[in-house]
Amino acid sequence: MKNLNTLLAGVFLAVALPFGALILSGQSQLGGLGRAAGEEGGALFPSREPGLAIQGRAVYVSLGCVNCHTQQVRPAGQGSDIARGYGVRPSVARDYALQSQVLLGERRLGPDLANYGARTSQINVETLLTDPASSGAVWHPSYRFVDAAQRTALVAYLKSLRQDYPSPEAKLKK
Amino acid sequence: MTQDNRSGRPQGRPPEGDGRVSRVEASLRGPFLLFFVSAVIWLLAASVLGVIAALGLGSSVGVLRDCAWFTPGRIAAAQQDLFIYGWGFNAFFALNLWLLAQLGRFEFRNGWLAQLGGVAWNLALTYGIARVFAGDMTGYRLLDFPREVGPVLAVAFLLAGFWPIVAFARRPSGHTFASQWFVVGASFAFPLVYLLAQLLVLWQPASGVVQALAHSWFVANLLQLWFGASALAAIYYFLPKVLERTLTGYYLAPVAFWTFFLFAGWTGPAALVGSPVPLWLQSTGVVAAAMMIIPVIIVAINVHGTLCSQGGWARAWNDTTLRFVSFGAVAFTLAGVLGGVFAFRSMSALVRFTSFATGLEQLLVYGCASMVVFGATYFILPRLTGALWPSAKLVHVHFWATALGFLAAVVAWLVGGWQNGQLLANPAVAYADVLRAESSWFLVLKISAVLLLVGHVAFALNAFGMILKAPAPAGRHD
Repeated sequence: MKNLNTLLAGVFLAVALPFGALILSGQSQLGGLGRAAGEEGGALFPSREPGLAIQGRAVYVSLGCVNCHTQQVRPAGQGSDIARGYGVRPSVARDYALQSQVLLGERRLGPDLANYGARTSQINVETLLTDPASSGAVWHPSYRFVDAAQRTALVAYLKSLRQDYPSPEAKLKK
Repeated sequence: MTQDNRSGRPQGRPPEGDGRVSRVEASLRGPFLLFFVSAVIWLLAASVLGVIAALGLGSSVGVLRDCAWFTPGRIAAAQQDLFIYGWGFNAFFALNLWLLAQLGRFEFRNGWLAQLGGVAWNLALTYGIARVFAGDMTGYRLLDFPREVGPVLAVAFLLAGFWPIVAFARRPSGHTFASQWFVVGASFAFPLVYLLAQLLVLWQPASGVVQALAHSWFVANLLQLWFGASALAAIYYFLPKVLERTLTGYYLAPVAFWTFFLFAGWTGPAALVGSPVPLWLQSTGVVAAAMMIIPVIIVAINVHGTLCSQGGWARAWNDTTLRFVSFGAVAFTLAGVLGGVFAFRSMSALVRFTSFATGLEQLLVYGCASMVVFGATYFILPRLTGALWPSAKLVHVHFWATALGFLAAVVAWLVGGWQNGQLLANPAVAYADVLRAESSWFLVLKISAVLLLVGHVAFALNAFGMILKAPAPAGRHD
């Protein structure tokens, strides 16, 4: 413990080893994921995001929505996400493979949004942003200051959030 | 208050009693005060934002809600960033430098470089916070700033936060102390972790959920290897120093140090249990979080063992520095034990996505790290300025407001999170009812935020009053 080099080498390894083992091997395992068909000959999923949805994600991030909303459905036995109707199956890594920015979220002060596009209508979102009290949402802040173009993009993004398609990994998880 | 100090003012006056400070301390005065004053200003700003955020809890029409700059998400991000990067980093730049300079008899001749780093750090932080309020965030907690801020912060860290390693390298004697290991470890690990996280999350984003993995790895390292290690360094210094005795089982301290650094870096994925990342990664995180109990137990033997012998708790209670430091030590133990227990899959599933994780995090960064910094300040500032704390009442207000405010908040986060998790686990309970049940804790959080602000204002008034009244530095050199 008297030698600085030994101390620094030890600390370096304490940072480098987990980084290599967790992050680099995670990248090596998941980095090649792309679109895939849930069944032989089926359509490829996840779908590519429409341009407007990509703009909408920027609005979502900019408003700080990720502070209160998650975008992940846990498997049965790990919470009640599926029983609550947040999704028909647990989220898998492939669901996020095409997303340039993955916003899993850490806190739920509002419902999970991983499948928001599959379970709501555009009107709900518009009302939620402009007049949350009348939409029945508990505590949702009003975002009246969001202009029409941003609102349209945000709605497109939220509508694009869906994980209700078949996925090979989800089958295995079941 | 100290038993031999009937005025009720905290200890820490230079032993000579004539206001002189050593050359080592005189050389630290400029950088230390820059970091410290910056830290306190950021702490006040974070506290004000904390009150605004708390007042908005459970309401859709909260304070400033119709202003785009103050969405709940932006306030939360700015508040956390101000607290972590503004208060936490500046405070530990000051404390770590002081500790290693003291222990290594390091006369700091390049203080201007550290001050330059401090100025760069604070300017980059100000810019980053302004961008967060403007909505230019990344969406990754504690990496919220636009990516151009990252390299500036990294360079500023090297200028401001790397000096403890220089002080260690230039120490005159071969003997070393646990405090030195922890500070050197923290000062060396953070820039590595920060640069790697910046690279994989913001500059060259990893694929899909690996971003979330890299982010969880970063957050765990930031909290443990910077805040945890720096706080432990101060605990290992001030406890034996003020009690004037060696720590119980001190021979175990190297094991605590190495196991702490060995396991902390692996705990990140424990925050992703149930998430769409491979199970082996989640399990690795869980095992590492459970293994963290080893350094936690050793630290508990060293610290609580010492406090439990020869009237240690009573002396700690009567000394301002030790009162805060021992509060921090208890919070560290609690955070370590709860972190290990609630990393397990079944427990984690219950409290995931609730306020429980906030409670655990705050146990470490506020209950432990911040309280330790407060205690250290009561020891160091009189030595650096040659003055006494202006008001004993403000010291009392500071301790009681922060201690009670923090305890109330942590109970609300932990117990409220637990209750919230149990309701969430039951799909028969409507989500709106879950949220309404959670709102019963919001009043506690609001009172707590106000108490913390009061405590921080009292601390700032006392500290700034002391610094402003301090005699000119030139007259105090040996």
